Amino acid sequence: MTENPGMSRRNVIGLGAAALAAGAVPDLFSDLGTALAAQAGPAEGIGPFARFGVTEQMLRDALGAALSRGADYADLFFQHRIGNSLALEDGEVNRAYASVELGVGVRAVKGDQTGYAYTEDLTLEAVVRAAKTAAAIADGPAKQGPKGFKADAGLPARYPVKVRWDEVRPQQKLPFLTGLNEKVFAADKRITKVNVGFMDQAGAILIADSTGRIVSDVQPMTSLSLSCVAEQGGKKETGGYNVAGRADIGFYTPGKLERIVKEAVARTTILFEAVTPPAGEMPVVLGAGASGILLHEAIGHGMEADFNRKGISIYSDKIGKPIAKPFVNIVDEGTLEAARGSINVDDEGNPVGKTMLVEKGVLTTYLHDSISAKHYKVKPTGNGRRESYQYAPMPRMRATYMLPGPHKKEEIIASVKSGIFCSNFTNGQVQIGAGDFTFYVKNGYLIEDGRLTRPIKDVNIIGNGPKVLELVDMVSDDLVIDEGGWTCGKDGQSVPVSQGIPTVRVASITVGGRGKKA
Amino acid sequence: MTTTTTPAAPTATDMLAAAHDAVKLALKKGAREAGVRAYRVREVEVRWRDGAVEKIHEATTRGLGLSLYVDGRYAAVSTSDLRPEALDTFVGDSVALTRALAKDPFRSLPEPKLYEGQASVDLKLEDPKYAAVSAEERRTLAREAEKAARAVQGAGSILSVTTSFSDSLSESWQVHSNGFTGSRRDTSFWLSAEVSVKDPDGRKPEDYAYAGARFRGEVPSPEAVGREAAERALSRVGAKKGESAVLTMAVENRAASRLVAFLLGPLSGGALQQKRSFLEGKLGQTIGSPHLTLLDDPLVPKGFGSRLFDGEGIAAKRIPVFEEGTLRTYFIDTYYGKKLKVAPTTARPSNLVWKLGDSGRDPLVAAMKDGIFVTGFLGGNSNGTTGDFSLGVQGFRVRGGKLAEPIGEMNISGNHLELWKKLAAVGNDPYPYSSMLTPTLVFEGVQFAGS
Repeated sequence: MTENPGMSRRNVIGLGAAALAAGAVPDLFSDLGTALAAQAGPAEGIGPFARFGVTEQMLRDALGAALSRGADYADLFFQHRIGNSLALEDGEVNRAYASVELGVGVRAVKGDQTGYAYTEDLTLEAVVRAAKTAAAIADGPAKQGPKGFKADAGLPARYPVKVRWDEVRPQQKLPFLTGLNEKVFAADKRITKVNVGFMDQAGAILIADSTGRIVSDVQPMTSLSLSCVAEQGGKKETGGYNVAGRADIGFYTPGKLERIVKEAVARTTILFEAVTPPAGEMPVVLGAGASGILLHEAIGHGMEADFNRKGISIYSDKIGKPIAKPFVNIVDEGTLEAARGSINVDDEGNPVGKTMLVEKGVLTTYLHDSISAKHYKVKPTGNGRRESYQYAPMPRMRATYMLPGPHKKEEIIASVKSGIFCSNFTNGQVQIGAGDFTFYVKNGYLIEDGRLTRPIKDVNIIGNGPKVLELVDMVSDDLVIDEGGWTCGKDGQSVPVSQGIPTVRVASITVGGRGKKA
Repeated sequence: MTTTTTPAAPTATDMLAAAHDAVKLALKKGAREAGVRAYRVREVEVRWRDGAVEKIHEATTRGLGLSLYVDGRYAAVSTSDLRPEALDTFVGDSVALTRALAKDPFRSLPEPKLYEGQASVDLKLEDPKYAAVSAEERRTLAREAEKAARAVQGAGSILSVTTSFSDSLSESWQVHSNGFTGSRRDTSFWLSAEVSVKDPDGRKPEDYAYAGARFRGEVPSPEAVGREAAERALSRVGAKKGESAVLTMAVENRAASRLVAFLLGPLSGGALQQKRSFLEGKLGQTIGSPHLTLLDDPLVPKGFGSRLFDGEGIAAKRIPVFEEGTLRTYFIDTYYGKKLKVAPTTARPSNLVWKLGDSGRDPLVAAMKDGIFVTGFLGGNSNGTTGDFSLGVQGFRVRGGKLAEPIGEMNISGNHLELWKKLAAVGNDPYPYSSMLTPTLVFEGVQFAGS
């Protein structure tokens, strides 16, 4: 169905969310066959793209064309991504989805204006034609393209690839799916349906820009998602668990597979006892890990510098100001090994490190791409990301989390007379300017007189970013980075992200439950 | 500024030939049956912000998708690498991949007789003057929309206006080895505006408006779109959280599609067969109030969901979904039809045409007297297995039949099996810029959470 393509939305969804809404295993696209060039040096020169006919001459000609009408800057983003996914339904791995994406995006930048074009045809003629299209953002005398290129060697190795996913045969992956299926049915008699989805991607990017910089990276990605239906006394409930990482097949340790089964079964069967919490404001304790969705929505998006240079974020003009208790420290970084949101280099070719959003309760740094960094006269923070060669980059989160604080989990729960504890989420959304945000709680507990009592389910929580950050009044020492497959949506582009948090207490926030508070 | 545009390298004839060739290639590599869809989409968007072009995005994309049926096994694959040797390897590898899977006796292309009986109507989905839109015109439209936004009363508190004009030409060619060949071309044009304003309390509320059409000449004026976006954003100033209560809720036509969409997933064959639907076993039963009458109509001229055949090649026909609250159909494709032992209908809805009421938003709000008028949802979700939902909302308090203060940071929750029985009125104002075509909907007794 066609919906408005134009407007910007910011949200995050977990792998489980689509299943929740649509009742199907998400169509996870991904790989096979057409091998990523074996001769690819890790970060040297044209790398894997040489075999598609990409040459330094092509880069020079295309960048020259992109600057032919006076743009300040231009870059080329080549991408080859082969993906494969397998799905199990009714006991059999009987469907596969595979995709090959190959193309190049050309960007020409004049001030804060962007011209963008792309093509899937990697002939010199087609790439130069796309570059001329992008060039039209400017309207002046041509600027010189780069005379030569220097490969940006020595990128970090945050997701070492021992075996590329396109070299892994489907037969090697099938046991992951069939194994989970058997174990889930064996674990609990109430399970009636099981869906398992396995996804992997072998990606390669090559960025060349008008300063003569060339960077390339090989980017794996994988996820394994289990969703089940249980029946008890004529009632049905669905739940699941998934793990995701920028990693190779070594990611799937026996412990991880066990955890998927255990968590999926527990999260599903507990729903038979679950109630809907009451409606209204109350203290909410967010469990360590996936509750990092709070940070993604309540502050992360609002700190993306594109919104701030336009003055439309609720956090615009708040840098240097205290916005939370002194024990609140929030970071966004891309360096965690094998995390879904990690990157060795961003999609503009900039280095990726750790960025402090909030330090000792004070708002410190926005998340920048190269356009906003230039605007603010700071170094890019390595947050320039894009969904694929079909899109221009913009500031995006990577792995967003809160550092450990001074409190203990037990102490936090014990402090609440009447409230809820949230542990598992499906999706969230935010309004950048108004600051209102939501996240949907799939599992949790009522807290009564300082103790976790009845399980709860299916409740949305809504708050206002800065107000809620002020109300984060306890932070535990038990930081967990969630291992689930989170995908962030902004302006029509999806990128993989990670999130995490220690156990925290929000003194008061609106819980979208039913009925009156006790 | 002028923009030179050149057509993409492959022609329409090339793409149709590529689809036929890919079917032949799949069969040659060992597939028993194959379905291929080739597509090409040209899209241009000009985005304008605060007095200048912010971004021009222009490209033509193309690719192939294949459904492969190999020795009783199934895979679906796609590629944008159409170099002949690459395609040959890709299809060969894909067939090998399929062979590694378990057999699935329910997989096949549709029965060829379902391809027959396409309506002989012109759906008017393509503007013959599509190519005449110039770069200058796109820019002017986007600029005019900003100007209109900045001309409304109270514009002094506007912080930023972003507008955009985009147009696209989508073409696809579908070829199945058991006798189906189809193609379609459609165009669409969209104009949008997003406005951020300053609220004295420090927030910067934003809202947007958009409008689109299959034909350039039918896109509403940039003045209308810009003005609506600005008025909506300004109306959010001073929004406060209301008290938790059970109230009558009217949902604006533009927002109402979110609620309807939650009914559609659970109506799909996959959800039913996988026991993930609260609507399983409910065919012929009363799900909603008598106001819920909804037709899936693929043949609406110029409709955003219109089609002569569906994604499987099945000839499109009108299907009642709800009649006076009674559920009349599921959305079932060939595969889940076989698994469920029922005839396929169609995999997904096209345009959803409502039986409309007699009055529009204002009389409906006047009649509800007291409650909340919801203008937008924020996040939230719905559990397709149980029908429980919980959604963030914003809008206006309604007092004495009139819109009163703006409210935000609130939430509604309930269960769809109860909600739709409380549908008390349906407007005469279907929202035209979506295939969902929802009118204003009024529900009684809805749980709101707030302070």
